[in-house]
Parts: sequence; C-alpha cells; structure tokens
Amino acid sequence: MPVGRTQGSGGIRNVWLVARREYIERVRSRAFVFSTLLLTGLAIIVALIPLGVRLVDRATVTRVVVVAPDAAIGDRAVATMDGFLNTRTDTAGDGTPTFTFERLDDPEAARRLVLDGAVAGALLIERTTEGGLDFTVLSIGGLSPDRAQLLQVGTFAVGILDWTASQPPSGTPFVLPGFQVSDPNIGRSGGTTGGSPGTIDAAEYASRRIVGIVFVVLSFLTLVFYGLWVASGVVAEKAGRVMELLISAATAQQLVLGKILGIGLAGLTQVSLVLLPAILALLGSGELGNQLLGPDAAAASSLAGLSPGLIAAFLVYFVLGFALYAALYAGAGSLLSRAEDLQTVALPLSIPAIMGYFPAVLALSGGTSAFIRFASYVPLWSPFVMLARLSIGRVEPWEVVLSLGLLIVTVPLVTLLAIRVYRAGVLLYGQPPTVATFLRAIRG
Amino acid sequence: MTLVVDHLHKRFGSVVALDDLVFEVAPGQVFGFLGANGAGKTTTMRITLGVLEPDAGQVTWRGVESHRLPRSTWGYLPEERGLYSRMRVMDQLVFFAGLHGVPGDVARREALAWLSRFRALDLANRKAEQLSKGNQQKIQFIAAVLHDPQVLLMDEPFTGLDPVNVMLLREAFLELRDRGRTVVFSTHQMEVAEALCESVAIVDRGRMVVGGTLRDVRRSTGRRLVRISVAEGHRLPWLAALPGARVIQAGVERSSVELEPGTEPEDLLAAAVAAGARVLHFEVADPTLEQIFIDHVGRPPDEETHLASAPAAEDAA
Repeated sequence: MPVGRTQGSGGIRNVWLVARREYIERVRSRAFVFSTLLLTGLAIIVALIPLGVRLVDRATVTRVVVVAPDAAIGDRAVATMDGFLNTRTDTAGDGTPTFTFERLDDPEAARRLVLDGAVAGALLIERTTEGGLDFTVLSIGGLSPDRAQLLQVGTFAVGILDWTASQPPSGTPFVLPGFQVSDPNIGRSGGTTGGSPGTIDAAEYASRRIVGIVFVVLSFLTLVFYGLWVASGVVAEKAGRVMELLISAATAQQLVLGKILGIGLAGLTQVSLVLLPAILALLGSGELGNQLLGPDAAAASSLAGLSPGLIAAFLVYFVLGFALYAALYAGAGSLLSRAEDLQTVALPLSIPAIMGYFPAVLALSGGTSAFIRFASYVPLWSPFVMLARLSIGRVEPWEVVLSLGLLIVTVPLVTLLAIRVYRAGVLLYGQPPTVATFLRAIRG
Repeated sequence: MTLVVDHLHKRFGSVVALDDLVFEVAPGQVFGFLGANGAGKTTTMRITLGVLEPDAGQVTWRGVESHRLPRSTWGYLPEERGLYSRMRVMDQLVFFAGLHGVPGDVARREALAWLSRFRALDLANRKAEQLSKGNQQKIQFIAAVLHDPQVLLMDEPFTGLDPVNVMLLREAFLELRDRGRTVVFSTHQMEVAEALCESVAIVDRGRMVVGGTLRDVRRSTGRRLVRISVAEGHRLPWLAALPGARVIQAGVERSSVELEPGTEPEDLLAAAVAAGARVLHFEVADPTLEQIFIDHVGRPPDEETHLASAPAAEDAA
C-alpha cells in the first residue's frame, strides 16, 4: 500500500491544518454557541444603555454649582436657569426638578466638588471683553448628553437676559454665549498633549465613553477568554495524551502557531457575531429613542464615538493583543498536565490583563496621567489602554505608532519564547509548574 | 544503512534515564526493544523522533541524525494512547496523515483499507470517546502507519489487546517488514518478542545489557536447556548426581532442565542412561528470553523497577 507523499515536513501547510482542525472544533462546540449567544445578548444590552439612560435621566436631579464673576450675575443665572429649565413639561411627574442650582464664589472649590463627584457639573460664567457671557461646564462625565443640551439652552436664556439687562438698547449686538464642557482632569495633567484645548462637546464625550467602555470590556473579556481557550486546548491535548501523537507528526512551532491562528479566527468569528447586532442595536436605539422620547439632538451623537477608525483600531489591537495573550497562554498551558490544573492558574494568568484593565478604565474617565500614557505603550496593556484612550480622543499619532510598534515587535518574541516553553513543556507530566520549571523550560 | 543508537545519555533531574545506551537495528527487520518499566525505552524513542534532546550521543538513520530527518520518516505509536475524544475516527486519521503530507483522498482510502484489515470498518464514523481501549489502540496504530513511514517506533504495541487483535497486529508487523519497513517495538512481554523479532536489545536502567540476533542473545549466557521425557515416572532422581543441572520446569509429559556452562547435554543423557532411565524424548534448546532477561538483569521483566523519581520527572519508561 504505497502512499503518495508531498515533499518537505509540512511547514505552513501543517500550521494551516492544525488551525483548521482547531477552528472547526471550536466553532462547532456547544460552549462556542452558548458564549456567542450570551455575549451577543450582553452587547445588545450595553448598546441599549444610552436609551435606558435617557429614560432614567428624566427622573433624576442634576446638581450644578454656578460660579459667576459677581454675585448679581450668579444669582440671576441661578434664578433664570431654575425657572427656565425646571418648568419644562417633561419634569418628572411627582414635581421633582430636573436641575438644582447653587451659587458658589470660589472656582477652585467648585472644581473640587466636581472632582469629588459631589455635583454633576460646575458652570463657570465669565464676562468676555465684548461684554457677553462665556459659559464653561466642568464635568467628569456626571452630565448626560441630554442634560448638557438642556444646560446649554439655559445658558442661552441667561445670556439673553444679561444682554437685555445690562446693555443699552443701542449697544453691542447680542452675541451668542460661548458654551463648552470641559474635563477638569485634563487641565491638571499639564496639557502635554500638544496644547489641544481638551474640550469636546459633552454629548459626544459621553458617547465616546460608552463606545470605549464597550470596546475595552469586550477586548478584555475576549482576550482573557480566548487565551483560556488556547491554554485549555493545549492542556486537553496533553491530558488526553493525543499530544504524543501530535508532537511526533508536527513541530512545536507548527502546533503553537496553528493553535493560535485557529482559535484566533474562531474568536474573531465570535467577536464579529457579537459586535454586528450590537452596532445595529446602537443605530436602532437612537431611532427608537426619538420615537419614544421625542426627537433629541443629543441622541444623534450617541454614535459619534463609533468612527470607522476606532473600529479598525479595535480590530488591529484585538488581533495583536490576542496573538500576544494566546502565545502566553499556550506556553503556560503546555506546562500543565491535567484540566483541573488550569483552574488554579487561570487567575494568576489573567493578572497581566487585569493590571491593564485598570488604567484603561481610568483612561475612559478622561485621565491622561503619565501612568496611563505609559500603560498605553506597554504591549500587554496597550490593547486595552490605548483603545480606551483612542475612543476618548486626545492621542498623538506618534503614541499610536509607538504602542503598535512595541506590540508588533513583542508578539513574535513572546511567540518564540512560548514555542520554546511548549517544546519542553508538552512532554512534562507532573506537578503544576513553579517559576523554576518555567525558567528551566525557557532555557531549554 | 542502519538505525544507530549511539551512546545516548539522558537524565531528568536526579533520575538517570539513559546511561550510554548503544545498539543498532538493521533496516527491514522487526526489532524488539526489551526492558522493564523505567528502563529507558520511551525516552530512547522520543529522542529518535527528535521530540526530546539527549544530553549526549545521537541517533542516526541511514547516516543522518534523526532530528534532521522529516517527521514523516517515523511512524510512532506512543505508549500512552490518546486521540481527540470528540473527533470522528476518520477525521483524526485524515488529520494526522495530513500533518505528514498525505493528501486527504489518499489518506481516506488508506485508512479504509487498514480499518477493514483490522475488522474495524464500522469505527470510521464514531467519535474516539465511544471506542473501547483496544479499538482506540488499533486506530492509533493506523494513525502511525498511514503515511507509510520508513521506520515504525511502537511503544508497547501489544499491551491491552485481546488475542485476536494481537494476531492481527503481528501479521501487520510482518507485512510491513516484508515491504522493507523497519519495525522497532518495545515490550516487556518476552514471548511476544521471541515470536516476532529477528534481533533484540535488552536494556535495564538506561544501559544496554545484551543485544544482537535472537539466536546470539539466547546463547549469550552459555546456558542450555534440555527438554527430556522418561518412560517411568517424571521425577528424574538421578539428576541430583549431575552437577550444573537444575530442573526449572517439572512436568508429567516433559521436564525442562537448565544446564550451567560447562555441563553438556551429552552428560545429562549419559547420566540418564547410566541410571537406567528409558529416554523417550531428548531435545537441546536455547533458554527462553524470559530466562535470559532474568539472568542478565536479576529479576523478571514485568517486575517494577524502582527509580528515585524527582518531582515533575517525566514518566518515561
């Protein structure tokens, strides 16, 4: 029975064969179907959050402190806005006002209140040289897009009243009052981001945060989750002893690369299946909200944060981040002998990812401290942190290039290391590995 | 032009697995690699496959270092059997053959041919987890030979098989040999090796004890075996007077007597005749491999060797 044999020892072809087997097994598995359904459900819920926020928003009171150049303007602004904004028809049924306003004289105290989260925002009023008024809202995200819009309407009223009260009729024409929402964190971090003003439209800011949260949570969950797939796949092959047959048929390199590729493609399939309905839900919810709650300019911008560039960045960081984490998990998995061992090492294995998740959350609240910027270059963390920074904005191009460059250099290095560990590890059976076994395996 | 195991050394932590192991296997032979558990058989096979690196020494096949050869040179049946439990048998066979470069349609055809000769055609569409141990073993054997490797390395291929399957596997070995393939298998069952091998190597604690053609190995101790049958009674009382002769198996029909070097079969026959016994059957034979093994190693091959195992040490045989 002679058997036809193609030349060579497999190479890329074997990587592809291993990847294909892995992909088919994953996608067909019950776990894949269930987790896809679960994640899709979660993503749709998250996508519908803005709609929910608008609903809840109607019944909550927004506390705003007002800091004016003099007490008269301050008192008038408080009175005007209170009267103007809280007599609206959509004030909650039980008579709760939409806003409460308090006058405060010290801008620094106001800023502290905002930073402490004691108030949703601080409205800083300044007299312009032309005699008009300029409004700046300090907020770290406590102000919903709807409320920010209302506030802008209120300041418009204050501006008109101020104009009619203080100007002789023949005086300067009415100037539309300036209005901007600013994050007090940015002012403090020293403005090293090239002098950009650090102010964006409040509604867009909120939208970017929501999109950022979705992306960061999604990459964090999926990288750790798919990483565990890789590790458990390796452990299963070892525990089921099919490894002995595998390693005699293909090289460690082919097996590791094939596994990462196959599970990565399965992961990408799942992410696409999860994201598409979520994006559709996000698009649909704006429409739905307008029908249910009436047209609202702020709702239109709930998608403002979801630019094609950001989706591309998410995919690039997902692919590179997955390759990095998958290599780590493959190496770690190869040192375990039994499926139970995986449970004991699953948590320590996810620590690097968790350490990157925290700066990412900070970055999502608009933080740009040196630590956050540093964390956004570190290869293990950049898939979350840089993604968070990108969704909020205010990232210099060179920072993206640096973080991607470091990631692109690190991925093959870590993969090579993982292959070494794997080569030594797959035939080791015994106790769960210690640091010493790990180092021995790397030294090979 | 042979498979040469050339002064292999390997240790795992404090455990010495291979200690200057040397032997050669002529191509186109069935070769028995004999030793107790822990003798170093699996380690030697893994080094040959290039999966494990020796501390010193090398394995060559036709003059080329084994780890430089394509993996499809070897067909490996690991001692620890394992398949993808949720994958169908045919899919696994095609997958493993594919890793060795066999196109899918060829692999499928060959797999069906092997399944039918093992009377296991009905297994093709079952998942591995639904198979009995013996059937899994058959599938693994097919996975090892599907790419028609030049050398087969089989680690304890007969353990766990029922007599019918042992016979089928033996026939397969001999057929592969007739097609010019080299078959190396390890075992601790001496009678299997005796029935199949042209050459054997007996190893103990990573060292070569004795090796060569089956006949040479059997004569290596200088002992001989006489099977004798006497008309009246089977007690052979006259044997006590003959130095260097010992009954190792007393039987009503026939008794086996072992002769120390220096005591010739003729001496025994002469003693019997002198005692007036009527000899019905007299046969000079070589000792069994089992006895050779005990003579050289000092204990039976299926007795566990106790190695001081270090934590995380490889469960090498």
